[in-house]
Amino acid sequence: MLSARYRRALNIAVVIVVAGWQLAGAGSQLAADRADYRSVAFQLAMWLVLAVVIAAGSVRLLRGMSGWPGAWALALVALAAATAAAAACPAGQLLKTDWGWGAAGWVGVLVLLRRPFGELAGFLSLAAATTFAIMARDGLHRASLAGFITILAGSAAIQFAVTVAAGALELVARQAAGAAESEAAVRAQSAIARQVHAARHARWLALQATAAPLLRALAAGTADPGDETVRRSCAMEAARLRRMMAETDDTLVPLMHELHAAADIAERRGVAVDIETAGALPGVPPGIRRIITDAAITILVAARSRARVTMAGTGAGIAVSLVADAPEQPRLPAGHGEVTIEQQHDGDDLWMEARWSSQ
Amino acid sequence: MEQPVTVAIVEDHPVVVEGVTSWIDSDRQRRIRLAHVARDLAGLESAPGPAADVVILDLELGGRLITGEIARLAGTARRIVAFPGHSEPDIVMAVLDAGAHAYIAKDEGREHLVEAVLAAAGDRPYVTRSQAKAILADTQPSGPALSAQERQALLLWFQGMSKASVGRRMSITENTVRQYINRARMKYAATGRPAPSKDALLARAIEDQIITPGEVTMYTSRARQ
Repeated sequence: MLSARYRRALNIAVVIVVAGWQLAGAGSQLAADRADYRSVAFQLAMWLVLAVVIAAGSVRLLRGMSGWPGAWALALVALAAATAAAAACPAGQLLKTDWGWGAAGWVGVLVLLRRPFGELAGFLSLAAATTFAIMARDGLHRASLAGFITILAGSAAIQFAVTVAAGALELVARQAAGAAESEAAVRAQSAIARQVHAARHARWLALQATAAPLLRALAAGTADPGDETVRRSCAMEAARLRRMMAETDDTLVPLMHELHAAADIAERRGVAVDIETAGALPGVPPGIRRIITDAAITILVAARSRARVTMAGTGAGIAVSLVADAPEQPRLPAGHGEVTIEQQHDGDDLWMEARWSSQ
Repeated sequence: MEQPVTVAIVEDHPVVVEGVTSWIDSDRQRRIRLAHVARDLAGLESAPGPAADVVILDLELGGRLITGEIARLAGTARRIVAFPGHSEPDIVMAVLDAGAHAYIAKDEGREHLVEAVLAAAGDRPYVTRSQAKAILADTQPSGPALSAQERQALLLWFQGMSKASVGRRMSITENTVRQYINRARMKYAATGRPAPSKDALLARAIEDQIITPGEVTMYTSRARQ
């Protein structure tokens, strides 16, 4: 992420340098020496070819395309145009009037920036060699040799420097990105740890409210395990504990999973529980799930021999229902906010429906 | 006394055949007589004597799902009550669309099979909870539109309430509950692929004033859109 940002900034910088050189460097030289060329139109045409290559190379660089065929095709087109421009310079005036050599070198930097360093070295050598060949055609002498070496040292040094800097920056950026990533990982880990702790604490508090007093009373002997209400409270708390453990499981339909966990306790008592779903069920937030499963647990604990648990998708919401034979008719927890709970008794039969809508 | 309804059982699990036989026998009024038992469809078709009024059909015979055969079987004027081991909504809808009279999941058998067979013999609809579930789960845009009342009655029936309790809940009579649920079923019979068994169901439903002839045309033309 970070390294990508660095890379992009550097790519833009290279594009600006190369385009700037083409406009200000090569362009101004072409304008200043226009009287010396045999054909200004030809020079201008070659200059335009390079400008097009630079435009194409810039697009490739900014889009992150670095395949060798494209890169080298552009490089060689630029070199051919630059060489043609150099060859058309007036004899003996090459070093003074040629703009192509320098421009071709910059095109090489642009299109070979993301290629191995040796490729740029090869390309710059090729450009120097062709220029030297044209110069040799016009006859070599000491002054022209000295001029050639001066220009070679000057332009190649800058072009190499830019490329080396790009490589170095890439390395630094990668290190910086690595550091940022590990910092983010540490931060995420501590956030997860905090959340896990908060969830544990919430569960501990929930147990304190109901399960702990019951256990304390059993331990102290004030609650009699032979008493039907005590036994029912135990079953209720056992179902809640099962539900609580199921809450942290990672499942596709957590509500169904939690209802299964609660139903398991009833099944151990010999209650036949069947669980059915109809239609697509929406995701239900944890707080809402707890209200719904609490109501379900109350009925599952009160069920004598059978219970049917159903979940039905209702457009944007869900209707969770229980039908059971529950002669005792337990008191259901009240609905809360977004959850409405309704019930109906028909003789021993108890029907309950908890509805929640996400809208 | 009326002639008993004859049934054939097509089922490859002997224990299921025994269960069905005992349900039939436990009907005090002896309204059903078991004509024959076959292990597969070939066995059913080669059975001697007149064809049974109703076929109780397992959908998985010899490890093979035979839902594709139902349309052909329903075309031979037999009334089919599907009695499979599962209740996936897609299969339920496909089986009913192919022309089965009713769909009873195995765990609904004790409560519903005898009544469903009798209803099928009279070309009357019988909607089990697994059928209600499949209709509630149906989101096909080409499916018929159910009224809010029909949907609510189906939902409460699916949830496990008795029809009397559904009536109390909705402040309507048990008879009206039955009417809502059967109307929903008839809307499905009037759409989808045509079958002689569905025509018989619809004709009887019009006679019983569950739906009017105009509604049948309305649903079919809607389905053909």
